[in-house]
Amino acid sequence: MLSRTSSLPPCRAIRAAALAWAVVLGTPAAPASAQISADILQKYKADLDRQTTDPDQKREGGTQPRDWNYDLPAGVTTRQVTFYVDGGTALYGKMFFPRGFSARGRYPAVVVGHGINALSIGIEKYAARFADRGLVAMAIDYQSYGFSSSGSDDLRLLEADATTDDRPATEKTVRLLLKRTNLNNVHEVSDFRAAISFLQGEPGIDPDRIGIWGSSNGGGVVTAVAGVDARVKAVVAQVATPRPGPRRAVNIAPANLEDAIVRVRQGQGAEVDGGFSFRSKIDQWSNTRNQDVQGGAWLDQVTTTTAVLFLPAEKDELTRGAEGAIEAAKFLAGRGVTSQTIVLPGLTHFQAYSYAGFEVGSTLAADWFLKHLGGGPAPRSSAQQE
Amino acid sequence: MLTRRVVGLLLAALGLTVLPARAQSGRDIQFFSEGVVCHGRMFVPSGFSATSKAAAVVLAPGAGDTASTIESYAARLASQGLVALVIDYRGWGRSGAFIYMAEPIRWDDRLRFSQHTAKVRLRRKRLIPEAQITDIRNAITYLQGEPGVDRTRLGVWGADLAGGHAVSVAAMDARVKAAVAHAPVIAGKDQPRAAWKPMAAEQADMVRLARLGASTVTAATAGTANDPESRLALAQYRPFHALDAIPQTTAVLFVVGGNETALNAETAVAASKTVKGPTAVTTIPGAPHVMSAAASDAAATAAAAWFAKHLVGP
Repeated sequence: MLSRTSSLPPCRAIRAAALAWAVVLGTPAAPASAQISADILQKYKADLDRQTTDPDQKREGGTQPRDWNYDLPAGVTTRQVTFYVDGGTALYGKMFFPRGFSARGRYPAVVVGHGINALSIGIEKYAARFADRGLVAMAIDYQSYGFSSSGSDDLRLLEADATTDDRPATEKTVRLLLKRTNLNNVHEVSDFRAAISFLQGEPGIDPDRIGIWGSSNGGGVVTAVAGVDARVKAVVAQVATPRPGPRRAVNIAPANLEDAIVRVRQGQGAEVDGGFSFRSKIDQWSNTRNQDVQGGAWLDQVTTTTAVLFLPAEKDELTRGAEGAIEAAKFLAGRGVTSQTIVLPGLTHFQAYSYAGFEVGSTLAADWFLKHLGGGPAPRSSAQQE
Repeated sequence: MLTRRVVGLLLAALGLTVLPARAQSGRDIQFFSEGVVCHGRMFVPSGFSATSKAAAVVLAPGAGDTASTIESYAARLASQGLVALVIDYRGWGRSGAFIYMAEPIRWDDRLRFSQHTAKVRLRRKRLIPEAQITDIRNAITYLQGEPGVDRTRLGVWGADLAGGHAVSVAAMDARVKAAVAHAPVIAGKDQPRAAWKPMAAEQADMVRLARLGASTVTAATAGTANDPESRLALAQYRPFHALDAIPQTTAVLFVVGGNETALNAETAVAASKTVKGPTAVTTIPGAPHVMSAAASDAAATAAAAWFAKHLVGP
């Protein structure tokens, strides 16, 4: 497949072709019926305009606790669950079931994941909204955050480990160092995938109709998950812009290398401030480690059975606007993957989570999931058949 | 240094199997990989000191193997002027186990580090390529902190499954300037580069692991394809697809026995053709996948010559 004399690596050549094609035709490759309507932007135009000017609705450097509150919609029920990742690390999920849910049905289901250094409590209102629209939804905390346990890289023995290969598992009481808020996108990819597996085994859920929703850093992660796991049938990436690009070997910045050396020789390196809505320290190493997940570089692995919606914010100060998401959707469309970008007009990054930003963003996300997973307990509607 | 390299190249050219002038016994070291204390054994060239500027290589054992099985390769690299570090992956050999909490503990994210006496589950012999790759990269970092090592001249050597790790690390980590895949097993050549779709039985295993935690593993099934976790990890591991992300400046050698399986031999040739930078396939005549002492020595000599050539000093 790879021509050694080609001047472009294959993914780049494909991207160039896709971009050229998109520019020429000006529309995505997917049929119009695969797109959702953005009319809600008109309906909420006055509210969106007010959000861009009202000082009380300004959000800089994070969301606020008042943004996390919501009323549980009538008829929607919840259940807190434990599921496992990476050989036994316990994770927390809060499930939201739609009105009339029956374990004898076959409902579509969505995993809802938080952003950088955040918690599920800040975004479970999205899961509640999706359940109100007829989807099963599960908001999760990643490893070492919130109600989820600490796992790999978050547990260290403070005594010698005397286990040998003669015994595959040993239970023992030990002196233990437990670490929290360890931002690690490699682990977040695994956490999403474990959540998908959990939902596939849940009575009443159709294992072939699973979607994932991620916001901010989580939006890059869900894009990456779609690049490695074809079980995902629909993706919504909010305020994330995984710009297409070639896979690249990661360079370690000199200051981070000194820290990395301390880390492998002493067990723990330096800490840096971690944003945004829930401030805490994170490992300096996270800045290097997270480059191992390259959502934009894995877009060429997303299969045509996965539909991807980007909801970038026009004035996003963290992603520098919406352009990366627009490029990503065009790239996917050029490969025949159903994709769409709807820009949240005038909004900044953290405004997407409240007021009109939330109403519009959560509605469009639910529309996307219902369109591409199908709604209700029945198998896919005929409109969803290929 | 130059003389030693010339001698090394000559030895490689002649296929000689001469033991190092002074037997290399190595020195045990420990490094942390994601919280787990891992074992390594470091071999250094004669005359090596804290003021040397030596190139250095991490050597990674194959599926189910431990560091002790590849020490002879490290000794050979050291005899050719390289610092060579063999490692045990976490959960294997003399390295610590994978750690899981086995009783409920309450925590508060505002207290980032807390200390407890608590019950844990210590798991060994999990064959998880992603974790092993991270261990190799942390071993590279260890070498970069070693006085006398030139932190810009670093290589990776991997045998069997770790031949795939060697190319994976070269594709992910720009610190690696040369790699040798020894009798490599590199999956993915005939699979599409696309998101993985599990078969029904695999999906059932994934559901079970996510809902029940660890699978029941016995001493007999641990670390083999009979363990669902390892089986799933291996099914998704396709290092062949990483080859074209290896930087053009990284040199990759494939060392293959002349009596290797047809699949492994063909894959190594195809892999070499996909590498953008300096690359070659060296065949050890008559050798099967698991090589005899003499064949191993020839393979180690070829690896040493490759590193000596491509981890050139300033």
